[in-house]
Amino acid sequence: MKQHAVDAVLIDEETLDLQELAFACAVPPTWVMERVEAGLLACYSSEGEMRFASAHLVRARRMVTTERRFDANQEVAALVADLIEEVEQLRRQVHAAGKRSRG
Amino acid sequence: MEFKEYYKTLGVGQTASADEIKKAYRGLARKYHPDVSKETDASARMAEVNEAYAVLSDPQKRAAFDKLAQRRAAGQDFQPPPGWDAGFDFSNTGSPASDDGDFSDFFNALFGRAARAHRGSGDGGGARAQMRGGDQHARISINLADAYHGATRSLALREARLDGSGNIVNAERVLDVRIPKGVKEGQSIRLRGQGSPGFNGGPAGDLYLDVEFEPDARYRIEGRDVTQTVPVTPWEAALGASIEVPTPAGHVEVKVPAGSTNGRKLRLKGRGIPGDPAGDLYLELELSSPSATTEKEREVYRTMAREFSSFNPREQTGGQR
Repeated sequence: MKQHAVDAVLIDEETLDLQELAFACAVPPTWVMERVEAGLLACYSSEGEMRFASAHLVRARRMVTTERRFDANQEVAALVADLIEEVEQLRRQVHAAGKRSRG
Repeated sequence: MEFKEYYKTLGVGQTASADEIKKAYRGLARKYHPDVSKETDASARMAEVNEAYAVLSDPQKRAAFDKLAQRRAAGQDFQPPPGWDAGFDFSNTGSPASDDGDFSDFFNALFGRAARAHRGSGDGGGARAQMRGGDQHARISINLADAYHGATRSLALREARLDGSGNIVNAERVLDVRIPKGVKEGQSIRLRGQGSPGFNGGPAGDLYLDVEFEPDARYRIEGRDVTQTVPVTPWEAALGASIEVPTPAGHVEVKVPAGSTNGRKLRLKGRGIPGDPAGDLYLELELSSPSATTEKEREVYRTMAREFSSFNPREQTGGQR
């Protein structure tokens, strides 16, 4: 079944509110609030309301996955997310350096 | 429909304890973690492992699965017999990965949200309760030109739906997605109402797409900044020149400053990936020297050798002339 083309919206332009982020991660809003208050998950603040961008969504989903798969506590899940982000950054640098050296 | 051998997937026996199942699952979850695994099929294997664990870690689902496995005729196409789930309740059983879209037809027909709604035991509601469909997540690959100009991409999504007769069917839905220009690698884009369908008139969930760029050896991309290598002749670099360069933003006329050396970067402000602010485009000069095939050409190189006799490109590495 084929449908007409639908418009995708950059999350970073409209951002997600607390309820939307929680639903996208299949967790209750309190799960998100606890981790924001603990400094494990960042957010933007707009008129006193929490707003979340792409990077926050990706990080939150990684933390949910780690907590569920390994019964990890929130600090360990945040640490795993930190390390994965670091690995991604290093991979990009290695990739770029490889191109430069081959270039 | 293919019957899933969940015990084999986790590498445990049918009499495995809950702890043994959990231990096996965690080992495989480390091995196939999509963010770190070097296995080529890590995402697919992780989905299989998640699905097996979603069933075997839940006493109700495991018992129902064991009962089905006993009644199954080997080698035959599988269809759940009527009343197979009599006496079991799956309504409040979570799973480590609850995206039914990632799971097989087999799982969705037995334990998926559509199956539960069909049995009238939907998540947290009665048989007639409206239920919003779940959000779905997927990845989409685009190229750099798409990021500059926007693009339409077709995406095939699998999902469990209830047909007109109330039967659960797994359907493939092809969605044409208009991707806005200015998207960066690693960003997520959202399609409202394109996730899993709702039940009993509830709204559909949203679809989130994680954007990744197709590898392209011509470019290095950092955020919205793009770097590309531009070959130039030694005389263009030494004397300066006006050259035309094909870039993702289109052909641009660039002035190469006199006295440029290999590796010099020219910045074209705002010519990177569009956005607010737009990224910059960096052109990295790469000197390309022609081979001398005629006596006249060789004489030009001899003249250069005499005129640049003090130049030693290996000086910094201790090389001798």
